[in-house]
Amino acid sequence: MTIVLDAPRIVITRPLMTLKNVSKSYGAVQAVRDASVEVFPGEVMGIVGESGSGKSTLLRMMNLEDTPDTGSYTLDLPDVQGNLFELDRFARRMLCATKIGIVYQNPHLGLLMNHSSSGNVAERLLVAGERRFLVLRDKAQIALEASEFPLERLDAPPIELSGGMQQRVQLAKAIALEPALLLLDEPTTGLDVSVQALVLDTLKRLQQDRQITMVIVSHDLGVIRTMADRVIVMRRGVVVESGLADQIFQDPQHPYTQQLVHAKL
Amino acid sequence: MAYVATRGGERAIEQAERLFRAEMGTITPERINEIKAAMPYLVDRVMGEASLYDEDIAALALAQTGGELYEAVLVLRAWRTTQPRLSVADPIEQDALFTHRRLSAAFKDIPGGQLLGPTLDYSHRLLATQVLTGEAFDPVPVEPAATPAPAHQPSVSAWQAANDLVDLPKGDATRPDDIPDITREPLLFPSKRAHTLQSLARGETGGVLALGYAAMRGYGQAHPTVNELRLAEAEIVVTHPKGTKFSAGRVKVSQAEVLSKKDEKLELGFAATLGWNEVKVIAAATLDLNSAGAPKGSATEEEFFLYHTEGVESSGFCIHFKLPHYVTFQSSLDAMRDAKARSAQQKEPAQ
Amino acid sequence: MSLKTLTRDWEPMSYGFLDASAKRELRRKMLKAVAVPGCQMPYASREVPMARGWGTGGLQVSLTLINPKTCVKVIDQGADDSVNAASIRSFLAKVSGAPTTLDTLKADLIQSRHRIPEEVLREDQVLVLQVPNPEPLRSVQPNMSIARQMHADADYGRMWLQLYEQIVRSGRIMQGASYPSMVNGRHVMTPSPIPRWDVPKLNMAKHLTILSAGREKRIFAVPPYTRVEPLVFDDVPYKVEDHAKLTCNRSGARGFFMNEIPQEDGSSTHEISDSEYGVKAIRRTEGDDIVLGDTWYKNGEMSS
Repeated sequence: MTIVLDAPRIVITRPLMTLKNVSKSYGAVQAVRDASVEVFPGEVMGIVGESGSGKSTLLRMMNLEDTPDTGSYTLDLPDVQGNLFELDRFARRMLCATKIGIVYQNPHLGLLMNHSSSGNVAERLLVAGERRFLVLRDKAQIALEASEFPLERLDAPPIELSGGMQQRVQLAKAIALEPALLLLDEPTTGLDVSVQALVLDTLKRLQQDRQITMVIVSHDLGVIRTMADRVIVMRRGVVVESGLADQIFQDPQHPYTQQLVHAKL
Repeated sequence: MAYVATRGGERAIEQAERLFRAEMGTITPERINEIKAAMPYLVDRVMGEASLYDEDIAALALAQTGGELYEAVLVLRAWRTTQPRLSVADPIEQDALFTHRRLSAAFKDIPGGQLLGPTLDYSHRLLATQVLTGEAFDPVPVEPAATPAPAHQPSVSAWQAANDLVDLPKGDATRPDDIPDITREPLLFPSKRAHTLQSLARGETGGVLALGYAAMRGYGQAHPTVNELRLAEAEIVVTHPKGTKFSAGRVKVSQAEVLSKKDEKLELGFAATLGWNEVKVIAAATLDLNSAGAPKGSATEEEFFLYHTEGVESSGFCIHFKLPHYVTFQSSLDAMRDAKARSAQQKEPAQ
Repeated sequence: MSLKTLTRDWEPMSYGFLDASAKRELRRKMLKAVAVPGCQMPYASREVPMARGWGTGGLQVSLTLINPKTCVKVIDQGADDSVNAASIRSFLAKVSGAPTTLDTLKADLIQSRHRIPEEVLREDQVLVLQVPNPEPLRSVQPNMSIARQMHADADYGRMWLQLYEQIVRSGRIMQGASYPSMVNGRHVMTPSPIPRWDVPKLNMAKHLTILSAGREKRIFAVPPYTRVEPLVFDDVPYKVEDHAKLTCNRSGARGFFMNEIPQEDGSSTHEISDSEYGVKAIRRTEGDDIVLGDTWYKNGEMSS
């Protein structure tokens, strides 16, 4: 078996996203302790760790759904300034709608299950101010097509679709406005292995075609290995190791990472 | 000409009201007294839902509406709202109530004692059909107890607080005139504690029961134990403008305290109302117990149960559907017909 | 000097039924509503001697604005003689001594359920609309606290999505009456269940419109000369009911909103919904000296 590796990319730009010294407690439980993450334009950052490691909390913060106790969050985009955690509710909503896309593990969190699939995608565009029906329809269709969603089901409600299809609708919604940052929270967990592979395929193709900056969270090393350029490993709220994906998988340094990688192999 | 002749609205409504009132005949002071004497629990229920304590006026409302409860409460509320607020009575603690009936399901016996008082709880619910054949039903006289029960008892939760089983709510130091008043302010959410308790106090008995029962059956998180139920009389102590405190009389009140365990402590739910209405206060206290952290849109969420147990609003809205809606209907009809025509056009074979 | 000379005699009811404190609250809330057009202001909403849902919100506004010289008109579904309109009119007259009229042109204050008269209202007239459900977001968000926050954020994506979904499903926007409308470019409001035919009458109107929901305890307003724009997509024009070519079979009036009257043979005839306008049209044909006011719609077309 031959493994085809992507050509290595040399990072020379400034990070697109910077999360600095972020800590968050829920009551007595410290979910995240002093975590820092930088993601560069066009790269895929993988966050791996077991459940309860704080990786999903970190992702929720990147989507501004949660505010840490301390720490800062910046996006290096022309019209975005300052620590995003300090934005008010209104500014957060607009920023999330226009700059950040997210795909949740649970499609109920990301979709209106009884609205049409195209409507779910169109909602994003509506929030951003699009008021032409035909344009909404066109753009929704383009985004669904890019997510490799079968267009004959354009107006079917997600409740009638399979799990894999629901994730494709979420993905279409997330990329409809061509966000600067795409967040993926266990996007294929719970899907059949064959469906999982197809969805990952789509994500990979999208990434290559559009050079979307992505952060993908998963407990599944296989998923992270398929997708990520760089990886951070989290355990009990702390980043224990970070580096290039190959480096982490070939030569893990931290005992916990070693344990993870060996268990997988 | 013909068009003008159809103006029958005013005459029609006048005659319709006459028809309704004709059945009830003349309302006399004797009838009011008879209602008061014969149906104290009905009078109590209406006074509670109207949040207006006056037996004569409540009996009058019942007489005037032929016992149509929603109408009776509306008449009372509409009258009440035009009356000035003269004074705010002193707060009454549980141990200051002149208690007729008091139970706790949490303990076999409690300081101050279980006190059955007047109740049908253990009666056999048999109809006294002899009355229909001309024989009067004469209740058997009460035999006084050898040692009369004390008029005042401590609260059960005071004992539990002393034993670190429950955290009692802290005393509220709000000045009397600043206490939020649901009859003078809109209800907004999250609602003020005073508004919640006032809304439950004047909630419609059937509605409070329906939602409280849903919570009891398992649509709520907490299963209630009746910690203390009281039917009592409360002294209304008001302050004269010159500073003298005096009693303006007594009102009948019901109150229920229910609890459930939460971790190492007990959680309390509370409700009270004017008049004696046990079902309502137990159900209302159960809703109160379940409301903390209830999911949005669930029957135990405050916004849900306070809106939907407001009897004047809910009954009024229900009967308003009798009003003509032909303009809105016409508007929908137009949209429907047009949509139908469009889809017929699309289905036509392209020949 | 006796107590009697110092005090007024006890009266069973205040002027205009509501007491001074209730009226003061309503005046303040109306001013707020005028200051922020289309924004719902919560108010105490006292009980009145009418059932909730029967115009108690409109009634409280009318009772607050009324004085013995206010000429009042009350309509329900466009008709003055509808039973509930008759009931509200007689109550207003009874508790205020105000004169009443059926003629839109003569009225100072018009309380209405579900219609705006066909004759153009003037700057000196006030229209009070009864509102059953003041929350345009109710169908997408039944929880009032969340809906309030959505208004604060101008978060109307779901509202638009609902319209999108209707077009996808039915080929057109299916909203009948209560068409959601953007007021002054900021707040989406329900114009109350008036037909789509009436919504354009609110846009840049000369008169003040106060909308009041008694049961739901919310008051909002469209001040004179304020933009009221139905939510529509740029490429899907707003459509009023297809009544432009219908003729009233009693008055002969044409190009106004009509009531459809089913006939035994399966067909329908139509009668003008603004009943007094129909009456005036009949009387004018019969030779009476009647003034028909300028109308918003001319030959079935809204004149801008």
